[in-house]
Amino acid sequence: MAYYTMNELMAVAASKELRDEELGFIGVGTDGRAYTMAVGIPMIAARLAQMSHAPNFTIFWNNLLSPKLDEIPPYLTQDYLTKWPCAFQPVTCEDKNEMLANGRFDVSFDSASQIDQYGNMNITAIGDYKKPKVRLVGCLAQPDHFAFVKRPIILTDLKKRTFVEKVDFITSVGYLDGKDSRVKAGLKPYGPWKVITDKCILNFENEERKMQLESVHPGITLEEVLDNMGFRPVIPEVIKTTEEPTKEQVKAIREIIDPNHSLLRA
Amino acid sequence: MKSKLIALEDAVKLVPSGSSIAFGGSILRRQPMAFVREMIRQGKKDLTIYGYPCGLATDTLAGVGAVKRVEAVYTGLFQFGMSYNFRRAVENGELEIKDYPEVAQAARYQAAAMNIDFIVTKDLLGTGMAKYNPEDIVEMTSPFTGEKYHAVKAIKPDFTVLHEYVADEYGNVQWPDHRDADDLDMLFAKGSKRLIVTVEKIVPHNQITSRPNMTFIPHSWVEAVVEVPFGTHPAPCDAFYDEDDDHMALYQKLAKEGTWYEEYAKKFIYGTKDHWEYLDKAMSASHMAKLIVR
Repeated sequence: MAYYTMNELMAVAASKELRDEELGFIGVGTDGRAYTMAVGIPMIAARLAQMSHAPNFTIFWNNLLSPKLDEIPPYLTQDYLTKWPCAFQPVTCEDKNEMLANGRFDVSFDSASQIDQYGNMNITAIGDYKKPKVRLVGCLAQPDHFAFVKRPIILTDLKKRTFVEKVDFITSVGYLDGKDSRVKAGLKPYGPWKVITDKCILNFENEERKMQLESVHPGITLEEVLDNMGFRPVIPEVIKTTEEPTKEQVKAIREIIDPNHSLLRA
Repeated sequence: MKSKLIALEDAVKLVPSGSSIAFGGSILRRQPMAFVREMIRQGKKDLTIYGYPCGLATDTLAGVGAVKRVEAVYTGLFQFGMSYNFRRAVENGELEIKDYPEVAQAARYQAAAMNIDFIVTKDLLGTGMAKYNPEDIVEMTSPFTGEKYHAVKAIKPDFTVLHEYVADEYGNVQWPDHRDADDLDMLFAKGSKRLIVTVEKIVPHNQITSRPNMTFIPHSWVEAVVEVPFGTHPAPCDAFYDEDDDHMALYQKLAKEGTWYEEYAKKFIYGTKDHWEYLDKAMSASHMAKLIVR
């Protein structure tokens, strides 16, 4: 039995992608597993990075710049968010949009109901857009993250229904149809950076800009990875194993960062 | 300055069926719920709703079939989950939706504030939102650099309805010291044609003049101001009261089951003659006291 959980491994893997003096965007999420993905793992990744290789990594949490993160209550009521101590809360939301469009964010954390082989994501509709089988939430700022943030990081569980060959609707533009199609559409060359899942890590580091296996988590087989994807990713000749968290990192997560187990709740 | 203070019923009478309305707040926080419930009592329908993130106001109006179209960045109920009434209407093809990402949607309100009819944005390039809405999202190139953009339309709704903290009778609306600023209410107000503001409390004029920097909507922009304590219940009003988890759980249970109209709307909206009767029916005095955060 491993001394760490898969969530802890994902958080440590995400922390390695964060660099000193960078600014990252974390949302507020909803509940259950979605909260762990949108808030829990990114928040732990940010704090682990601050405690080790990136002491000046800063986050923008929802509408708060550099919030105090010593203690996060298990349930966030409106009043907690209203009075959360932080360095800067813009007086209005346009400020955050202007920061985004100005490329002031280096990383963001996003997940989706569907993601395709070129990293395009769908959080809008399953089926026909005009009369959908399932209407999803819309867009939020996810298209803006993919358009303007330097290295968007995707956090999601590896599932066949999520990893599809072609998304039903492109909410957020990854590498579009591959190669330089993203640039031809008028966007900056950098799209999604890494896809961190509960079974493996993927990237887009090839000329085709197609999703490619970077490493498989300890204890997971290549077959399990492929069984949980609706398309075949690019598979390198040598498949790496994802680095395990150290005992010190696990201790920091459990005793200092998330002692109430509110971040990694599900 | 003249007094713009009117009753909720009279403010709602200003808005005819078929209007387009921008509702302020964000998802749950400061959604003008008392105003929306009175709209339903008065039978308003065929509405076009503009939001930033839409939430409880849209879901409630969709639940009685009063919404024709929504243009927003999101529609849902945050920690309480999906917006079932809204979602069902979209899936049944009864409600038209036009999706925009946050930078584009905020820019559309900015255009209205600047009194220009369109503005450009880069966050729709390559997206499904642009593909499925070619009449409103039009690709163009910069005359200066040749870079690609989309032109998007300014949002100029017939009415803008906001729920805020305090105002004087003239309609000078102020922020409290601590608030949750994650919204575009001030921008909505800047570009409004007819602005109606409901507030938690009407305060004396000298309370406004003693700290004028906290006024974010001045009287000259406002057509009507209405005092509605607990006006955003069961959603929260930051600095005043928290979300009502119990009431929202009931709302969502019925919406999810598809019995919301019969069991929720008939009891809490059609079954109450005004906002005061709604408050009596919606919660006990002790429950209300527990929600207050001041």
